[in-house]
Formats: sequence, C-alpha cells, structure tokens
Amino acid sequence: MRALTGATGFLGREILRSLARDGAEAVRCLVRPGTAPDRIAAAAAAAAGARLEIVPCRLDDPVGLRAALAGARVLYHAAAVKRGPPAALVQGTVAASEHVFRAALAAGVGRVVLVSSFGAMGVADLPRDALVDEEAPLEPHPERRDPYSFAKHRQEALAWRLAREQGLPLAVVRPGFVFGAGQEILGTRIGLRLPGLFLHLGGRGRVPLTFVENCADAVVLAGTAPGALGRALCVVDDDLPESRALLRRYRREVERLPVVPIPFPLLRQLARLNAWYSARTGNHLPPVFTPYKVASTWKPQRYSNRRAKALLGWAPRVPMAEALDRTFAALAPRTREAARPMAAVG
Amino acid sequence: MSGRMREGAGPRIAVVGCGQIADAHVQEARRAGAVVAAVCDASPHLAEQLAARAGVPAWFTDLDAMLAETRPEVVHVTTPPATHLAVARRALGAGAHAYVEKPLTVDAREADQLAEAARRSGRLVCAGHNLRFDPAVRRLEALVAAGALGEVIHAEVMMGYDLGGPFGAIVMSDPDHWIHRLPGGLAQNNLSHPLSLVLPLLGEGAAGVIASGRRLRPERFGDARDRFHDEVRLSLEGQQATAAIQFSCRVRPVQLSLTVYGSRRTALLSTDARTLRLVDGSRLPGPFGKVDWARRDAWAAGRELLSRAEDLARARLHYFEGMRALFRAFYAAAAGAGEPPIPLAEARLAAEIMDQAFAGCRRAERAPEEERAS
Repeated sequence: MRALTGATGFLGREILRSLARDGAEAVRCLVRPGTAPDRIAAAAAAAAGARLEIVPCRLDDPVGLRAALAGARVLYHAAAVKRGPPAALVQGTVAASEHVFRAALAAGVGRVVLVSSFGAMGVADLPRDALVDEEAPLEPHPERRDPYSFAKHRQEALAWRLAREQGLPLAVVRPGFVFGAGQEILGTRIGLRLPGLFLHLGGRGRVPLTFVENCADAVVLAGTAPGALGRALCVVDDDLPESRALLRRYRREVERLPVVPIPFPLLRQLARLNAWYSARTGNHLPPVFTPYKVASTWKPQRYSNRRAKALLGWAPRVPMAEALDRTFAALAPRTREAARPMAAVG
Repeated sequence: MSGRMREGAGPRIAVVGCGQIADAHVQEARRAGAVVAAVCDASPHLAEQLAARAGVPAWFTDLDAMLAETRPEVVHVTTPPATHLAVARRALGAGAHAYVEKPLTVDAREADQLAEAARRSGRLVCAGHNLRFDPAVRRLEALVAAGALGEVIHAEVMMGYDLGGPFGAIVMSDPDHWIHRLPGGLAQNNLSHPLSLVLPLLGEGAAGVIASGRRLRPERFGDARDRFHDEVRLSLEGQQATAAIQFSCRVRPVQLSLTVYGSRRTALLSTDARTLRLVDGSRLPGPFGKVDWARRDAWAAGRELLSRAEDLARARLHYFEGMRALFRAFYAAAAGAGEPPIPLAEARLAAEIMDQAFAGCRRAERAPEEERAS
C-alpha cells in the first residue's frame, strides 16, 4: 500500500492518477476531516482503476497519523499550505510535517517522498545565467525570502534532520513552477499582477516550469527508484520557455493585459529603494521587493533536470509544447466566460 | 517619522503566542520604542519562525523558562483567548505588566480573575483595544470631549468581515480552529473593537443589551464551520446614549465605520480610510439646502483627501498605527508615567456585554426549537 497526503490538491490529484497508472497497489489518501465532497470526488476520479482508500486524518494528530500510515510501503507527502500569513504557512506545512515524518518513522514506512520546492534552495548568490541544480545549497537566508519559500525551506530542513538523526528514509523532489490546466500560468516568476496592469519581471529568463502530469510522474518514481533515497532531485521539464514568450502567448490567447516590463537591473534598483523606504518608515510599505528576493526569483538562470532523469529513469511524458497548448486551451475559455456580459435580470 | 520612538527607548518585552497577530506586535512594539527580547510559543516551529523572520534574539517553548531567563518588563499575550488568563497570570506573577490581545478573556468571570491577579501583583493589564488609539478615533474622541457634537445621542458601528480573507480562510478551512470553541464564535473574536469604540459614549455603568445572530452563508461542511453566526446585531442602551453594532460577513466593502449622532452635529468615521467627517447639514431653505448640504459634505471629504495624501507622503498611514499608539501609552503607564490607557473595568464591561449578547443569541436560537418540540 502507498499513502498520499495532499491528494485533493493540484499536484496531489495528478500524483494519484500517476499512481493508479503505475500499478494495482492500493493507495491510501489522507484527507483533512471536513474536506468538501466535490474535492474528494475529483481525487477519486483521478484514481480510477486503483484500489483507493480515503482516510480522514488531521496532519497534527499523531495517533491518527500512525494508524493511517500503518502498512504503508511508501508515503508521498504533498500536503502544504500555499497561501496565508507566515505563521499559518509554518503551522500547516512545517509543524504538520513533523507529525507526518514522526508517524512515518513509528509506522515503519519504507520511504517518504517529500514534495519540496525550488524555493527551498539558495540561488541568490549564484551568478547570472548559472546552472541551477542539486548542487545549490539549501537556502541560507530563508528569512529574507517570501513566507512560502521560508516554510518550504524549514519543512525540507526538518526532513533532512530527521533523516540524519532518526533514519527517516527520505527522498526529496523539488519541483519548479508546477503548471497545468486549472492553474494560473502567470505565476510570480513571470511577474506581478496589479489592478489593471501586469509588471513583467521575468524578462528573457527561462521559467523553471514542470507540467503537473510530468511532475507527478517524477514524484511517484521517487518512491521506488533505488537511487532516489537520501537524495534531493530538481524537477523541471525540457525546453523551458522564456518568460517573455509565455507572457506574449498569454496576451495573445487569454487576455490583453497592459504590461509594464521591468528589466532586471532596474528591478534591482527598485528593490533597493523598496527595502530602504520600508526600513526607514517602519514598514509603511512592506518590503515586497528586496535585492535578495529579486535575485532569488528573477535573476536569469538555467535549470537542470539531469539528475532526476538519471536517478529516476524519468522523462517528461508530455512535451512542453503540448503541455502549454493544453494549459492555454483550458485558460482561454475561462477568460471568455468571464468576459461575457451578464445576462439581463427580470 | 512623526510620533515614532527610537527602538530601545521603551521597555524590554516578550511576545507569547506566535500566530498571525504576533508579527504586528513585534513590529509595532519596536515602533513604540520597545526592545523585543524574546518570543514564546508551545510550538517550536512557530516560535522559531517568528524569531528568525523578525530578528528576535531568543525564542522559547516554555513560558516560565522564558520569563525567568529574559525577565521582560512587559509581556504581550497573543495566544488564543482561552489561554489569555493563564498566560497573563504567569506573566504578572513573574513581575511583568501584561498586554492582552482582544478579546481580553473568554468571559466576564475570567476578566474579574485577571483584574484580581493584576491587583495582587501590583502590575498593569492592558486589553488590546487598539482601535481606540486609531488616529481617526482619537480625533473623534477629542471632538466629543470638546463638545463639538453636542450631547451624544446615538452611535452606530458597522464591522465587516471577509470569510475569504487571510484569517477568515483559515477559520473556514479548519473545523477545530480555536475560534469555533469561543462561546460567541467568530463574532466574539471581533466585537471587542466596536464595543471599545461605543462604550465610552454610553455613559457610566452597565449598558442594557439586546442581541440577535443569524447565519446567512449556506451550510457546506456539517461541522462547527456551519454553526457560528455570521451576522450579529447588538443594541445597547446606556445612561446617556444608545448604540447599535452590526457584525457582518456579507456587507461589502469590508469596513469598520462608526457614526456618532450628537445634539449639534453628526460624525462619520471610517477606520479603513482613516477619515472623519462632520455633518453640519444646511440652514438654507428647500432645494438650496440640498445643494448646500452636498457642498459641505464634498468640502469635508476634500479636506480628508488632502490630509490622507499628506499622510501618505509623510509615511503616516501604517495599518496598525492605533496599536503602536496604544503600546506606547501602555509602556508609559507601566513606567509610572500616566494612567492605564484602556481601563480594565471597560474591558471587563465589554466581556460582560458579550456574555449577555451570546446568551441572548443562544436563547433566541433555542426558542423556535422548543416551540416546535412543545
């Protein structure tokens, strides 16, 4: 039996689909008690063909977790809080993960695959156009990053500590920006959406994308591939597009957004100004941009998936062109729907 | 910046409870001049994250160890309300003054116990009624004190709440969230603010209260998240004036607005826009009066626009400005230079009114069921 947390999430559903495709082994999904039935139904639909168990279980309930993980050969831990105040991210992602990891140890789970994030790596000090791969260290200054990256860093650091000290059988997958139908493609790495305006911050840099189905395949393989144990693996697809090309296509096919492009050197200066003003005025405006955040997120760099391919035997099943076609096709009708005038009432 | 104290000119403080509001406490305490010596939370992850992100030198998971090692002069209690009394008592027992987030306690009985603990320790307790120190509210307070409104007849507060907002989304995603265990649910965590604004206007002594609660959202979960009232209305009758408070999760824009009707003028206050406008009406006859009234409203709004623009240019529009001002006043009182900024009796009265209000809501809810049963 294999167990999965976060099965009702965007990536979790695809992990479930990939597990179902992978074999006849039963899959046990740990879902938060009170999860909306339609979300569970969507997960169950994704697992069609697999023996599926839905187990309501809070991730801060050690006893319930231990029972839920009993007999699990592999645990895929994909649950995380993505939005909210910093404390809520830490509570839902880090504190909850400690319970999950300790329950996995107690239940004798054979392998724990943690879905981490690119945000857990420290890339700010790498030079422009450097190759980002598993050689990059864990982020040395997570407190200077955004709250999501901070929480993911703390989560991964905790997992490695438990692996060192208590023998947690750990494999870590660090996806880049996971995209696919039903998800906004204009993520932070491309720019920032303001009311009626889009600040394009990614310039000509490549966006470390991974299509949700491809990423899910890599996560699933990390549960069984012998070489993945004790390793962190960066997962991005091949043929990564430039930020400006993605934005151009978005404007052509989805929405004619007014765009203000901000080149990286100017962005760095604006970040200095933002940080100075924020410190000078006691956070009158929050330090949304700081030189460190800007260097971590928008400095043009290159990304490697060599180790994931070598150790997992993984390759992106859906080519980038098709993945983008499917994503944009799902985005376009949604926008047309939103743009349709409201029906007259009465 | 105007009104900003140098960090370090105030007391050594500690923050106990490292949830969402703790970030604001660390930031505003520093702006009020305090040195944040330590943070503490039962969860090591929560304590550590706040210390790391805010650059606080020490973090603890054991309250008594923190009090013994750090010896803070003031402890900010930002834990869930059910633990306020216990945490504040230990802080007072260790010789610290206690600033306690709203609601001060779960009920009036606990508020009495806290007042007793403060009296015994010879230390001060301040309820986190920080909206009383919002700049617009302070301006209104000065106008009322100067008699600019005449005699206050009635006050109305509209307090909006977004269930999809940063905190609302957490409350709605977790049936075991501590909010759902408060006797008055979500409303209890919020009504301290509007009550703190109107209670000083009602006159001395207790106020009569009539309350009703409703749920306008559809049932979706079959658990505690479906049960709390998302619309609560309080009608208060004091010795001198009356007040009405509406807590609403449906009204948009989400806002906190206060209207004070006096025997000479009316005042309209928005804490969101940080504006205060006086309504004088017009003495001109018939249709001329309507134009004149609108002209006066436009002038008042224009003056506020210019003032806020100036505040923006001078970096004076911090979201938690009232919190900073209240901290500063409390630190001064703790140092023996001034009266406690929020009288404990007033916070106790707010707790008593909420006790009555939620008991009233529950009675009203049971009545139709009992009628059906009989």
